Amino acid sequence: MTPSRRVASYLWVLPSVAVLFALVIYPLLFSLSSSFRLWNLQTSPKPLGFVGLGNYKQVLQTTPFLSALRNTLVLSFLGTFIEFWFGIGIALLLNSGLKGTRVFRSLLIMPTTIAPIVAGFLFRYMYYERGGLITWLLQAVHFPIPPQGVLGSSQTALAAIALADIWQWTPFFAIVLYASLLAIPDDVLEAAVVDGASGIAMFLWVTLPTIARTAVIVIMIRFMQLFNMFDLVLVLTHGGPGTASRTLSFNLYQSGLVDYNIGVAAAMTWLIVLIVTVLINVYARIAFRNWEW
Amino acid sequence: MRRSTSRKFLIYAALVLTMLFFLGPIVWFWELSLRSPSSAFASPPRLLFKPTLDAFRYTFVNPGANAPQLVSSLIVSTGAILLNLPFSASAAYALSRFRMRAKAFLMMWYISLLMAPPVVFLIPYFVLMSRLRLRGTYLSMIVISQTITIPLSVWLLKSFFDEVPVDIEEAAFVDGASFLQSLTLITLPLSLPGIIVTSMFAFVFTWNNAIFPLVLSNQKTATLPIGTLNYFATTGVTWNYIAATAVVTMLPPMLVFLLLGRYIVRGLTFGAVKG
Repeated sequence: MTPSRRVASYLWVLPSVAVLFALVIYPLLFSLSSSFRLWNLQTSPKPLGFVGLGNYKQVLQTTPFLSALRNTLVLSFLGTFIEFWFGIGIALLLNSGLKGTRVFRSLLIMPTTIAPIVAGFLFRYMYYERGGLITWLLQAVHFPIPPQGVLGSSQTALAAIALADIWQWTPFFAIVLYASLLAIPDDVLEAAVVDGASGIAMFLWVTLPTIARTAVIVIMIRFMQLFNMFDLVLVLTHGGPGTASRTLSFNLYQSGLVDYNIGVAAAMTWLIVLIVTVLINVYARIAFRNWEW
Repeated sequence: MRRSTSRKFLIYAALVLTMLFFLGPIVWFWELSLRSPSSAFASPPRLLFKPTLDAFRYTFVNPGANAPQLVSSLIVSTGAILLNLPFSASAAYALSRFRMRAKAFLMMWYISLLMAPPVVFLIPYFVLMSRLRLRGTYLSMIVISQTITIPLSVWLLKSFFDEVPVDIEEAAFVDGASFLQSLTLITLPLSLPGIIVTSMFAFVFTWNNAIFPLVLSNQKTATLPIGTLNYFATTGVTWNYIAATAVVTMLPPMLVFLLLGRYIVRGLTFGAVKG
């Protein structure tokens, strides 16, 4: 390729990169400069003084940043883990070659199509203390429901959010993993059966290696989506009771757009950006290793 | 033989239970939109009831507070995919066809934007759009949506362009076609299905997004998800109205997914898994 053609190929990419770069760099620089200033929109429309690292200290001292980080990590690891294995189970069921699985497949994905806000409402309705479907079912099996309801107790609020997410995104794993199961050639399966491989051995040595590449990618996508969890928290618990179910994203929203403390929120933004950058880089390197572009 | 029949039965039973778990809540909420307020929270939950369209009438016809939100959602989502297309299509074409040293880096950069937490951008966009006096406009939401639609579409479209054989383009060159001719007469028509599929996914992603309208819309430009949230902010939550609005919000994405059956895997994984 001649040098001029090489430059030309980048001209095709430039418009999208320019737009995205502008849309990303503005928030980052804005947050960086605000993070060193005293600025609460309730008291002043403009930043006041320079406070050095004061806002960063405030993030840790006056907001539940560390417990939000803990909640976020619990949600991300547990959610991804359960959704992945539950999803694989369903994918294997769908792959059993029985009639009618096509209809099952096209309907199964429906929860994933729903706006997360709306999924939140579905579950908020079912969690209702009086007459909610889930509450009623739990009572039927004598599950000890806290008097404040499932969403109102600090012991169950986070799990309730996780359940709604598991409901919404397990089908995503099931459908994607099912698609990759189809890639296992029949003769490989037959050979394994002829060799007398047990069900578990087949799963470990034939199924898992085939779907590994796909699995790594969907796990990465889903883990990050869970890490950014916001909508369900907004609808289901508002981070409560107290701060028991706050995630990093919700904690940031609370500081910036409810308490209007732009300085503290900006400092928090940078802490989150650092964490997320590390995570995405580690993940992407693993997921797209040996990738053919 | 007996054993395989019982095995079949077990698998079907497991599948039916699975479907009940995943579809039950949706059906339950659809029912709520057709219930009278008195049966919404009957304890124990009542399965049979006399359906009424009152909630839909109230939310979308008279007084129909949610009807303008349906229009807003359509404007923002359609605007977002139209604005997105020239940017993402040109980038995706180059990334599919040309040899570029920074290709891997660029692709990673696009996908990392899809995985970044949107809340991080919220406050700066709120301040920026306020300063530009654009807050509350459709334009602000359409522009900010590009942080999602462009990376998503670049990835998806590249996967579709990759499938149009280069040979066809080269054959056109041999026959004396110019680069522009081969692009507009051969590549674009051949990848039209891909462009449509990509646009539909970008539409759904924008349609379902609640975070950006949460701070960028005002009462006049609020989209449907904000409409459902607004019912929640008022005292005495009116669940039938929430459900009616939510049902209307659910339908377009569901329809898209039913239509795009075999592209679902590709769409949800941004083209990284072909399916």
